[in-house]
Amino acid sequence: MAEQPEVVVESADILIAGSGAAGMRAAIAGHDAGAKVVLLAKGPRRANHTRMSGGRYNAVSGGNSKDSCEAFYRDTVESGMDINNHELARVLAYEAMDRAYDLEAYGLAWDRTEAEKYYMSMTGGGTFVRTLGSIDEGIGITEVMLHQLHARNVTICDFHMLVDVVVGDDGRVAGGLVLDLSRGVWRFYRCPTVIIATGGTSQLYETSSGPAINTGDGIAIALRAGAELVDIEFMQFIPISFVYPPSARGYTLTEPAHYGMRHFDPNAEAAHLVNNQGERFVLKHDPVRKEGSTRDVLARAIMIEILEGRGTPEGGVLMLPDKQVFEAFLKERPTYIKRLLENYGEGQARLEAPIQVMPSALYTLGGVRIDAWCRSCVPGLYAAGEAAGGVHGANRLGGSSMPDIQVFGRRAGTAAAEEARARGPVAAGAGMARARARAAELEAGMSRADGIRPVEVKKRIQKLMWDHVGLVRSGPKMEDTLRQFREIRSQVLPSLRVTAKSRVVNREWMEAIELENLLDIAESMASSSLLRKESRGAHYRTDYPDMDPAWTANVWVKRNGSSLQVEKRAVVGAEATRAEAAPKKVVA
Amino acid sequence: MSNQITVIAEVRRYDPGAAEPPQYQRFEVTGMDSMRVLDVIRSIYENQAGDLAYQFACRVGRCGTCAVKVNGVPVLACQEKCKPNMRIEPLTPFPVLRDLVVDRSEVEARYAALKLTPQRESKHPGKPEHISPQLAEKLCHYDLCLACMVCVAACPAVEERPFDGPAFMLKLRHMAAHPADSADRLEQALDAGMLECFNCDVCTQLCPADLSPAQAVRDFRKQMIFGAGERT
Repeated sequence: MAEQPEVVVESADILIAGSGAAGMRAAIAGHDAGAKVVLLAKGPRRANHTRMSGGRYNAVSGGNSKDSCEAFYRDTVESGMDINNHELARVLAYEAMDRAYDLEAYGLAWDRTEAEKYYMSMTGGGTFVRTLGSIDEGIGITEVMLHQLHARNVTICDFHMLVDVVVGDDGRVAGGLVLDLSRGVWRFYRCPTVIIATGGTSQLYETSSGPAINTGDGIAIALRAGAELVDIEFMQFIPISFVYPPSARGYTLTEPAHYGMRHFDPNAEAAHLVNNQGERFVLKHDPVRKEGSTRDVLARAIMIEILEGRGTPEGGVLMLPDKQVFEAFLKERPTYIKRLLENYGEGQARLEAPIQVMPSALYTLGGVRIDAWCRSCVPGLYAAGEAAGGVHGANRLGGSSMPDIQVFGRRAGTAAAEEARARGPVAAGAGMARARARAAELEAGMSRADGIRPVEVKKRIQKLMWDHVGLVRSGPKMEDTLRQFREIRSQVLPSLRVTAKSRVVNREWMEAIELENLLDIAESMASSSLLRKESRGAHYRTDYPDMDPAWTANVWVKRNGSSLQVEKRAVVGAEATRAEAAPKKVVA
Repeated sequence: MSNQITVIAEVRRYDPGAAEPPQYQRFEVTGMDSMRVLDVIRSIYENQAGDLAYQFACRVGRCGTCAVKVNGVPVLACQEKCKPNMRIEPLTPFPVLRDLVVDRSEVEARYAALKLTPQRESKHPGKPEHISPQLAEKLCHYDLCLACMVCVAACPAVEERPFDGPAFMLKLRHMAAHPADSADRLEQALDAGMLECFNCDVCTQLCPADLSPAQAVRDFRKQMIFGAGERT
């Protein structure tokens, strides 16, 4: 074993990994409940997935008298194909509006039609006009929250990557091992609670919409620490994303352009999608909802056209936009119009000419299995937002990730603060030996002179996932893919090389650490996809193309030594009554 | 649809912890002529210099963290089209961590010191707060500021005078426009050097989010002379 590196010891009541809205909302709640909070950002704090979102926010505001929290819950479960954790889905539906008011209290201004009346529209998959918004507000949401953290003097550590959660001999969280990438220094945060808010794992795919930092770190870390994953076989692909230029390939082209008048009226038609023969191919897949179908159906329909050779030369299909919505789109999404103009042309920006679109990996539906207060099965370890699983089931409604990160971010922070107070500080020295040993392990790539660069391995994994564990899957291909993942783990990971000798902002070193996380999730996804012998929501298998009622169930993944244990489990809370879902007092 | 181009990029390499002085390393990159500066930087990292330090996350002009100087002009690397000859440098006047990555701690401390949350005299009503649709739209536009620091890097007044910079003026104006905010934002703007602005409008021309910090300064100056008036 290599020489043990120096590890600087720090302490906190709650250590939060991730600077997106889930992490920031947890930090606000944790701080306000009296806890000492430290928030880690892998890059600069503004580099997060929330910021890239259009900020559409599903909530029952009272603006549509036909809508109700119960209807929002039903839409969520229907879209999730009945395998959501019903309790989590209810919490989302019933608490979303209170958290929307919190954001307004922080300084965000939701779009309005009158001084005290919010503007509402529709997004992917819902049955009621209920979605709030404000102009391109992924940015605004993160800004108002960040300034709330500044006002509270919460410690935010830029360029600090959570590497592992260390569990003590008592089976509880003892702290987090962190690499300060800006200096190349190891830190061990001794703390009784850790909240995973590191977002999803869209970087597993060749074409993805999210930021480059979304490598599933927190989900893999939780799995290694003993937590279970749920629904990890479900990856949401957005049907409508940019095809070119290369830098923007896969970036979400947002829904108003695609939804046409359906953005405002559930009975109106969405923009037509045609293949290179001018055929409206979606009709084959969903003759009832047509192009107004859910994201999973549309993404798969487009992918099948591309795979079967009926796409454009650049690898997309054509969307025929409805120019009637141009004015509304320009008001809601000026930046997207600008991007259409820069990348495609004036006709497309004015929604007058056909726009090339393709599916892209957007959102990790599964993740760490949590209860209604975001607790994993490891005492002291929490997860919230995209890193957690169960809220959205097999498919997510457009506009539901924004309330998810607010609602569950707050719950995680509140519950962790209470647990930290109940438990008190972690004993000095607990977990230190494990933290030191792990740091030493991850130093190895730095000293290896020859070997394979992480970027090459990452591209190989991304291609395998895109081709075989993406929109269209089959048993034999996934088994072969799984075999290749195991080979990468045993043959390639031990020979990773890091070019730079400097420890400061060493991107390759970070990528080498990310690779293990990516591979952990890739294996989990392929294994759980193999177990689920049916097609449902975002999970589609050519060898089991139909939905099987016997599979109205979840797949749990757990680590057992160095192997994965994959199990079929019953759906949680389907019988829960509305009263039970009402916010309860936290019991630590 | 797109032609090939070969660009020559001179990248500033510097490790403050190492003994070597800063130097410019020359790279040739061939790719589609629609490449952005970030595509060029990523290609250099992936194929020629695995030890290059650079920063990006969203690649679509939203996170604001990839800003660099190209031929002396601050830009977002992900949005700026590549040029046949480019000198790529880290954003000034910020401390360099390594190569193209700068330390933004001081920027964040400055934001924090300005207390950019609405300073409320009464709590949020727990129902839609009374804000006119026009004002809501205006607040949303202010919210599009990426905090990328392109305007601060370009501002001649920041370079020569005691002025925090355009981005901070914009944020203060945002708060001044917020109906629930009771703080004296004009006073803060004055303390941050608002009167040092030359009104040259370079910040407006370069803003990747199409905002105008210079207009925020003009609005504060108008307020200083004529008073605040209504928040509309």
